[in-house]
Amino acid sequence: MYYIHTIASITHQDSFQQANVWNTLTPLTPESTLITPDYKLFIPPAALRRLSPILRMAIAAAKSCQENNEDKIDAISIGTALGCLTDTEKFLVTFHSAQSDTLSPTAFIQSTHNTIGGQISLDLKNHSYNMTHTQNGLSFEVALMDAILCADDGKKAVLVGAADEAIGFLKQLQPDIIQDNRELTSGTTCCILSRERKASSIGIVDCLVRAETSDWQTDISDFLDRNETKIADIDAVFVSQLEDVKYVDHAVCYIDYTGLYYSASAFAVHMAYDKLTHTNAKTALIINRVCGNQLGAILLQKDEAPH
Amino acid sequence: MSIYITGYGVISSIGNNVDELFTSLKAKKTGIRQGEKAFTTRYKVGEIAFSDAELHDHFQLKTEGSRTALLGMIAAKEAFVGHELRSDIRTGLISGTSVGGMDVSEREYANYLNNTTHNLQAYGHHSSGTSSAQIAQELGVTDFVNTISTACSSAANAIMMGARMIQKGWLDRVIVGGTDSLTSFTISGFRSLMIFDEEWCRPFDETRKGLNLGEGAGFIVLESAKSMEKTGKQPIGRLSGWSNASDAYHQTASSPDGEGAILSMQQALDVAQLSPESIDYVNAHGTATPNNDLSESKAFLHIFKGKVPPFSSTKAFTGHTLAASGGIEAVISLLSIQHGMLFPNLNHTQVIAETGLQPVTEVISNVKVNHVLSNSFGFGGNNSTIIISAV
Repeated sequence: MYYIHTIASITHQDSFQQANVWNTLTPLTPESTLITPDYKLFIPPAALRRLSPILRMAIAAAKSCQENNEDKIDAISIGTALGCLTDTEKFLVTFHSAQSDTLSPTAFIQSTHNTIGGQISLDLKNHSYNMTHTQNGLSFEVALMDAILCADDGKKAVLVGAADEAIGFLKQLQPDIIQDNRELTSGTTCCILSRERKASSIGIVDCLVRAETSDWQTDISDFLDRNETKIADIDAVFVSQLEDVKYVDHAVCYIDYTGLYYSASAFAVHMAYDKLTHTNAKTALIINRVCGNQLGAILLQKDEAPH
Repeated sequence: MSIYITGYGVISSIGNNVDELFTSLKAKKTGIRQGEKAFTTRYKVGEIAFSDAELHDHFQLKTEGSRTALLGMIAAKEAFVGHELRSDIRTGLISGTSVGGMDVSEREYANYLNNTTHNLQAYGHHSSGTSSAQIAQELGVTDFVNTISTACSSAANAIMMGARMIQKGWLDRVIVGGTDSLTSFTISGFRSLMIFDEEWCRPFDETRKGLNLGEGAGFIVLESAKSMEKTGKQPIGRLSGWSNASDAYHQTASSPDGEGAILSMQQALDVAQLSPESIDYVNAHGTATPNNDLSESKAFLHIFKGKVPPFSSTKAFTGHTLAASGGIEAVISLLSIQHGMLFPNLNHTQVIAETGLQPVTEVISNVKVNHVLSNSFGFGGNNSTIIISAV
């Protein structure tokens, strides 16, 4: 079991540093926007000006996690499906329309996927392991697998997170390239986990990543089998696809609350964490089929109180 | 648990496969020359002569993809020659890339900006994860596919992720490495940073001015002993050590004393349970930027306590191939072990005054090479070291 010690999300929900997001969740409406904290509390103003939305939200979430965790973060694993799109597009425009030899490097520097993890390490003056994973709809899950490996290596405070940002241009790619017509949004979730139980009794039991599935329901059954449980015994099920709600009658479609970004299953972990914390539910399963034939699954559990 | 290496493959400006790369290294023949593409013509680059269509035909690829993906397919397929997929061996692919399908996207985005025909389908190749999925498709790998994107340390990180997944028992065998094509995006980016040398790059030389970019891909196959019992493959080396650490100093520059580099090298030695004296050759990151080479040299002096083993940067052969460099250099490290050879740091005439470190400048044969340490450092202060050892 990989216990979650603290979790922070910036999404279209009022999720940042809230004691219980589960109670306040409201489905997205066309008017929903990203609900951001006062970034000045987390990032110096000079730095803030040059940081894109994805960097601001990921740094704030990571810093919030560090502030709420006694142990210093000793490994960082970030997942992002499309990375720093604002700066990528900005630099594409810059060099395609440059008239002179002098180009501003800022957008280029901030366009690489690992700017997110890199900025977190810079901001926290953190010299530990720092990894950036990207695998379309499974970007958070592969980052989580790395975090599990870090925890197995004995790391005491593994920061694992996901971040993705929507830019206007992406809308043109629906529905041909992004084969999903739901509202494109931005969001980030970071959490700190380790094998040590500490105050939290809620954690991640296992994570499944299938690059391609031909029968996702069988793959989920096999995943639950290897964890000695079955779907009927799971208290809370979160799915990415609305049509999958009928798979089990009490499933919740998490994209209804996050909008569409490919690493949104990280926020489903936050939803599950708060549900397990504040209700009688003891187990939760996240089924992520947000992109093509990829299948991800995350099983969470609340330990019984120790006697 | 030992992690064995049972295959390698490479494509770069010094050859389309491992044999050609080895021949060029022995002949001290660089692949860097004046660029021939519209966006490279002003620079000296390690460019691969084939067009995308030629790559597809010449290497008989079945899968469509960006240039980054095509280069990755070629090197990964060579690495996987003689291997076969089977249901009782869980096989994964982990590829490092920094640009992914940007080569396709940037051309299409120019059309968009110019209000000419905008083919949205082109962006289907854009994401880095998709380039790895395309490589996996070419090989038929479906169990596990992942992409690491940590700029110039991506391939080294993909290699270490693969090793850790085998140790955990999640995979039995994994094809790991990296790929990057030259793009206008990267050329413009490095131009904006003003770290190009318009002449041939000179790693670890007092007169070095900057880097030459290159393109290519390098992959190796990692296997557990249990997997080799089933496949009957013979190992060509072992991956004995690995580590990643953050410099946490600056988004693009290395710290003056190489703090992140020291951490990554020390931790890799710890994982390998080796003392610094047991390293026979260091394949340096050595980009030839004033900043990197000084910082890395100081880190060498610290780690090896002044007694730095023979070292060289092979980037004056291939150019800096960014996310692919750790994969290509892993192949070079394996050749060093297999053939008992050290490969030269081209274009070197004058040691860096501050450190006085003399790299290997000639091909050296008939040496026993048991352990090679290879560094890859990326933007964001992302520092990685892998150690490859003789079996």
